[in-house]
Amino acid sequence: MMHSSGMFYLLSTFIVVFSLAVIMLSNPIFSALFLALSMISMAFVFFVLDAHFIAGVQLMVYAGAVMVLFVMVLMLFDLGKETEVFSKGKFTGLLKIACAGWLCGLIGGAVYMSTEMIDVEAQVTDSVSFTTKALATELFTNYVFAFEALGVLLLLVAIGVVAVSRMKGGTHAR
Amino acid sequence: MLDSGTATIGLNHYLVLSAVVFTIGMLGVLLRRNVLVMLMGIELMLNAVNLTFIAFSHFTSNINGQIMVFFVMTIAAAEAGVGLALAVAIFKKFKEVNIQFFERLKG
Repeated sequence: MMHSSGMFYLLSTFIVVFSLAVIMLSNPIFSALFLALSMISMAFVFFVLDAHFIAGVQLMVYAGAVMVLFVMVLMLFDLGKETEVFSKGKFTGLLKIACAGWLCGLIGGAVYMSTEMIDVEAQVTDSVSFTTKALATELFTNYVFAFEALGVLLLLVAIGVVAVSRMKGGTHAR
Repeated sequence: MLDSGTATIGLNHYLVLSAVVFTIGMLGVLLRRNVLVMLMGIELMLNAVNLTFIAFSHFTSNINGQIMVFFVMTIAAAEAGVGLALAVAIFKKFKEVNIQFFERLKG
């Protein structure tokens, strides 16, 4: 069984370390690299959780397309050495970190306290409902309108992105 | 449950991992000044939510969570495209992608 605790702890350590590296490193190229590694580790977690198609989509869309977009824009910018990596203000920075830690603790506490409320089956016995075929059937019957709307939205976003990035003089066009 | 030490990994483990990754992404958005790294933080947060969906989908034998993750991924790709286009527009004007220039947006 792939649900061994060693696998989970290894993958979660990878994810947390890579995510921390994304926000701690001052060079944006390294941030993009570690974001890609974090996405790949997350895809492995999805694979362990029987979401095979979603794991493949994660690898293709996030670790492939979105990361290429990020890296291409970074290359386009040719940023020099970054002078101010983090936002100013020690007190506000500490306040932000404290608030984030508080939020994390709140979510963890809520998860811990609501254990018996969630009706969790011990183990998935029928793998029928987790095949890619079942996913496609669901997507093209019950969610077909949302799927088509998503296509229209992507077309609109593509046109809008081209229009915004071709504007003369950035946002201060006269 | 969380510190049981046995070989079983339950729903709670995945939810706590998701909360930690979400918090890291939120800290990236709050603390960094580079727009691109802030967008990366947003991607991390979206990934954490995706992990929650997949974990619930797996542990309750319900496939609708995977459909939601499919939609979230598509919207996230579109959002990254729009954000990067705005960053390019800002960079053309100011030769910098610091977040402080976004407050001078007008017109």
